[in-house]
Amino acid sequence: MMGRTIFIDPGRCIGCQACVSACRECDSHRGKSMIHLDYPDEGRSVASLPTVCMHCEDPVAPCAEVCPADAILVTPDGVVQQADTTRCIGCANCVNACPFGVPKIDLQAKLQMKCNLCYDRTAYGLAPMCATVCPTGALFYGTVEELRAERPGVQVADSFTFGTTTVSTGVAMVVPADKVQWPVPGGLPVVEINGKDVR
Amino acid sequence: MTEPPQTAEPTPPPGGPAPASGATDPAAADPPPQSPGAVRRRASLVGAVVSALLVVAIVLGSRLLRDFDSALLPYAVATVFLAFGVAYRYTVWISAPGARRLFRKGWGSFFSVANFRSAPTALPRMIATYLGFQKFLGARSHARWAAHQLVFWGCLLAAAITFPLTWGWFTFTSSTGSGPGYEMRIWGFKVLGFDSLNIVGWLMFHGLDIAAVLVIPGAGYFLWRRMKDRGAITGQRFAYDLVPLLALIVISVTGLLLTFSSIFLHGGGYEFLAVLHMVSVVFTLIYIPFGKFFHIVQRPAAVGMQLFKYTSRRKDEGGEVFACRRCGQPVDTAPYVENLQGTMRDLDLGFADWAEYCPRCKRVLRGTAYLDHVKKGFK
Amino acid sequence: MSATDPAAVPGTVPGRPLSLDPSLAPPGSRDFRDAGGIPADRWHADQNQETLVPTHCCFCGVQCGMYLRVDRHGKVFGVEPRNHDINRMRLCPKGINAYQQVNHPDRLTAPLMRDNRDQEFREVSWDEALDRTVAEIHRIRTEYGDDAFGLLGGASLFSEKTYLVGKFARVALKTRHVDYNGRLCMVSAAGANKLAFGIDRAGNPFSDILLTDCLLIAGSNVGECFPVMTQYVWGARDRGATLIVVDPRETAIARTADVHVALKPGTDSAFFNAVLNVVVAEGLTDEAHLAARTTGWDEVKRTVAEYPPSRAARICGVPEEQIVQVARMFAGADRAMAWHARGIEHHSQGVENCLTVINLCVATGNIGKPGAGYGTITGQGNGQGGREHGQKSDLLPGGRSITNPEHRRQICEIWGIDETELPAAGTSMMEMVWQMQRQEIRGLIGICNNPFVSLPNYATVKNGYDTLQFHAQFDFFLSETAANAHVVFPVTVWAEDEGVMANAEARVVKHNKAQEPPAGVRTDTWVLCELARRLGAGDKFAFPDSRSVFEELRVASAGTVNDYYGITYERLEQTGGIAWPCPTTDHPGTPRLFEDGRSYHPDGKIHLQTVEWHPPMDPYSEEFPLSLTTGRTVAHFLSGNQTRRLAGLVEQTPRPWVEVHPSHGFRNGDPVRVVTRRGSEVFPALVTDAIRPDTVFVPYHWPVPTAANALTIDALDPRSKIPEYKVCAARVEAAERIDEVPAPPTSPGQPAYPEAQVSRTDPLPPTSPQGRGTAERS
Repeated sequence: MMGRTIFIDPGRCIGCQACVSACRECDSHRGKSMIHLDYPDEGRSVASLPTVCMHCEDPVAPCAEVCPADAILVTPDGVVQQADTTRCIGCANCVNACPFGVPKIDLQAKLQMKCNLCYDRTAYGLAPMCATVCPTGALFYGTVEELRAERPGVQVADSFTFGTTTVSTGVAMVVPADKVQWPVPGGLPVVEINGKDVR
Repeated sequence: MTEPPQTAEPTPPPGGPAPASGATDPAAADPPPQSPGAVRRRASLVGAVVSALLVVAIVLGSRLLRDFDSALLPYAVATVFLAFGVAYRYTVWISAPGARRLFRKGWGSFFSVANFRSAPTALPRMIATYLGFQKFLGARSHARWAAHQLVFWGCLLAAAITFPLTWGWFTFTSSTGSGPGYEMRIWGFKVLGFDSLNIVGWLMFHGLDIAAVLVIPGAGYFLWRRMKDRGAITGQRFAYDLVPLLALIVISVTGLLLTFSSIFLHGGGYEFLAVLHMVSVVFTLIYIPFGKFFHIVQRPAAVGMQLFKYTSRRKDEGGEVFACRRCGQPVDTAPYVENLQGTMRDLDLGFADWAEYCPRCKRVLRGTAYLDHVKKGFK
Repeated sequence: MSATDPAAVPGTVPGRPLSLDPSLAPPGSRDFRDAGGIPADRWHADQNQETLVPTHCCFCGVQCGMYLRVDRHGKVFGVEPRNHDINRMRLCPKGINAYQQVNHPDRLTAPLMRDNRDQEFREVSWDEALDRTVAEIHRIRTEYGDDAFGLLGGASLFSEKTYLVGKFARVALKTRHVDYNGRLCMVSAAGANKLAFGIDRAGNPFSDILLTDCLLIAGSNVGECFPVMTQYVWGARDRGATLIVVDPRETAIARTADVHVALKPGTDSAFFNAVLNVVVAEGLTDEAHLAARTTGWDEVKRTVAEYPPSRAARICGVPEEQIVQVARMFAGADRAMAWHARGIEHHSQGVENCLTVINLCVATGNIGKPGAGYGTITGQGNGQGGREHGQKSDLLPGGRSITNPEHRRQICEIWGIDETELPAAGTSMMEMVWQMQRQEIRGLIGICNNPFVSLPNYATVKNGYDTLQFHAQFDFFLSETAANAHVVFPVTVWAEDEGVMANAEARVVKHNKAQEPPAGVRTDTWVLCELARRLGAGDKFAFPDSRSVFEELRVASAGTVNDYYGITYERLEQTGGIAWPCPTTDHPGTPRLFEDGRSYHPDGKIHLQTVEWHPPMDPYSEEFPLSLTTGRTVAHFLSGNQTRRLAGLVEQTPRPWVEVHPSHGFRNGDPVRVVTRRGSEVFPALVTDAIRPDTVFVPYHWPVPTAANALTIDALDPRSKIPEYKVCAARVEAAERIDEVPAPPTSPGQPAYPEAQVSRTDPLPPTSPQGRGTAERS
């Protein structure tokens, strides 16, 4: 299933946002950063989480499915492309349906934009900008074998649970080798908000 | 150039009833999505009806083919195919859950009397902004906006002239040969009389040349950009991105050359040019429903979507805004979120509840879950 | 459910009818204002005829390789990762945005001058500015003596230029008063290295980190200050190494470390003495090595006996068991390695803190072996090279001492001057400021530094500079210090000239010229040589370019410990970097020191030094019970004169904050006044569990009234003269309003590039010390 793709390891991430700046340098969307960098443990630790498009495989790209304008194409290599500029009507369905919170929208330009795995680079065999510069390897681009060569014994997971649904993705997360959690929890159902139990 | 071999558009999953969780949602009362086969059958039917209607309109509009110019027959046939294709594609398109719901909401807002009363100018203004002047393109790039405006108005002008002509709806008659006394008729009724030698006459006869002069620089700019701009080159496909531009340029150039030939070459090469012109036009017309040009048909959906959002926002000046259940930041209008959740349930995406959280909270909650349940740190 | 504050909903303006396009989208999904300072629609990716110029980053001591993208008009317009073996294509946010300085609208492009500080600057010709400067130098020297004119250099200059700064001071200005801003950075480590090893550089290359079994990082926020070095840290852990981090804050690397020692600021030597105490007590020392290769071990052993873990635990505020754990982990590892940075160096006993770490490494036999050793991570790009070739007040090129008659003779011979003409040793940067206050120094040229932000106790610094009768400054952006000068010379950025820098591994790397400087801008080399010519020393400064300076530098360093003789531009271009000492042109360089067990002292032994802990210079009291510690954040560099102008970085971290523990009762974003004996300022609170309750942190990249260094103490280490930035006594109290960050200074009539300054006035603290999350950008 997994060919050359991005492997994300939030445990290695130092939250430096090099990926955010690098994304802006990518020629296919120069000046606009598509990657998200969040500090989910705000106030407790400096833990950070980089989010690139996960390139969902099953169900295939929810963003594309909810798109009323057929603007989001999935190329045969499994890359979920950003919206076709001629078709996108800027409705934000993809923004709010994506289970990973990935797509962005330019409200003035009526255009969705999202990580396309740096298609201008990956199509030529180069790594995406974010994973090229990532100082820590929190974002790694390559095959799982290449990843294991650098990090012996590392385990990866490419599916996530959202409530009762499992979403499997083209991009994978690193999980601990000793207690492989698979699929990875996606955050839904929400059990607690700001310290309050909401179950 | 990056040209992926083929494009697989995501197909909606085979139809199935909306999940039980949607039972409380009013949207679940909608008919379930149809199977691809059913959609195809219905689309073919709609296509056939629309093209039949066009044929009838051509026959009647040309006064039972009396005004029909048989030299233009291939063009007229192409428009019938075009009508079939557009109707077919349109029907398939709006049968997909996302589009179907937006289609209803958009037209619902469009035909709402209450809407019209409360904001009578909203719709015309939106049409002018989004369809006419395409302000949103300016936000993408000023040059692209300018080029698109040239192509847009050029094509619009050309279509306004040629379609009625090929259908035999327009006729030009003259009692005097060239000079005054020219009459333009629609469906046989005289609408305009003019002197073919004055400026009005010149404009009438060179409308298509003007259209070509508008289209060539616009399409030329886009073609140049597709060679240079790395953003545009990324994922660019020859059939989808370059063929339409080439087609527009070929049509415009051959059209101009026809004029050139008749004025300066006494018709030299006219035959060949006419065939080339016709082939490129027929090809383009038939291509419209299946390629990039389909956005012409789709784009009005932007107005529908905008009108729907506008109407929901107006209801209570911001009171209808749906806030993220975790951080309280606005997500979108409440009817929009409800509509999206309906779409997600139609599609059998089991995480429709997730739409009630903003993207950041989704990521943060996922990050927290990873920290709590997968691993806290390096190991 | 409805939004908490409808007025905040985009598209809605209270009291105005709904806009025709009332679209809204959730926060973080709709903003593209981070276009790196250039509005998004003006970005072009249509550069088909670009060239890639291989070079290195201008910022920190890691010196990552990068390519600058140059368009067909010869202008730098972008960056591309470079597979250089220091960084293997990795870059941090500063490095990625660095290229935007090159053609930045805030660049100075004409000399600025004014008669006194009450006037506005006016643009003048080069001749006018140079003549005025030379006239003032002559006047001050005639009236008050040669030593009344001072020169301050910088460690972000190429080594060639640092060499010129030293030579210019001694030969053209003939003053003893020359120093540089590395004095604020790595001199404690330099002092300790010299004392213990007789050589001033890290013992091992970065790549040795991958081979170690236990990595100890003391006082370095590697994840933010040297992000690209993190790959070595993680690489070591991937191969099973344990990680110990000593830092009062739980930084990104401390968060996941095997042991995080969150000690109280200013207690490092007590901690390391106690660790060595346990190592000795548990018999984990390498006695054979100590006996054969060191001197002073018995004294050290006696001293650390006074530091049982129980005592150190009390001093440092850490559990006793943790000290034992660190000792066993470090000494028990086959190969262990210690790296440290400003966290233990910026202290009134900075040199001694470094010595305690050296003692620990040497006592456990972890020195001079693959995967076992010691290093200091230099903060500035040329932090290593900048201190080697004579711009330090007490040093001459090749790391020679200005007080050593033999060294003086050698240099005078190379420079072609009489020995009596060579001035004596000068004073350190902070001491020079005090001398300005006392009017012992009346004129000053500053090159590549910004003491108004970077020196401690701003009130004193401002007073010192204001007392100067004449002050000229070299810079490419108008720094806060330059904005207070009489003459400002517009000089090149790093991409407009070539030259070498030495990174934290003492690896000399070559920076290449990517574009011609804008009209009106000159290289620092040209300006110094031109001033020298007008001062009558032109024959000693006939340097047309960096290469000619480097040739003289090579010769001047030949035969010294810091031997560059075997390093040439051609070799650097071929190899991608050579570590000195490199005595001959066929020598491969020396990435790892002490492999033969010998130090660079004449006796070949490592000279261990005893260290007694003493409390910080600023005493705690009931009024000032907390420790204030200062440091960097990942998006900004040093005084921020460069990074506070780059929109991507400003967007990431628009302003400073005060990091406080929740126990103080503040909520995130509350205005909090930080008060020390030097002053008080109000910052938004970043409330986090990741800091000690008795410590508060403020990052130092911003000028007054948001300057951490308006609060810090100008107490110095007696040996290295480094200021005690990392600890002073403070208190925090609730305040009314947050002090606003001022715009960076610019030429008269030209506002600071507005696109880059949009979020500067945002009153909120960042989400985390690394900056605002991408969804929290307002």
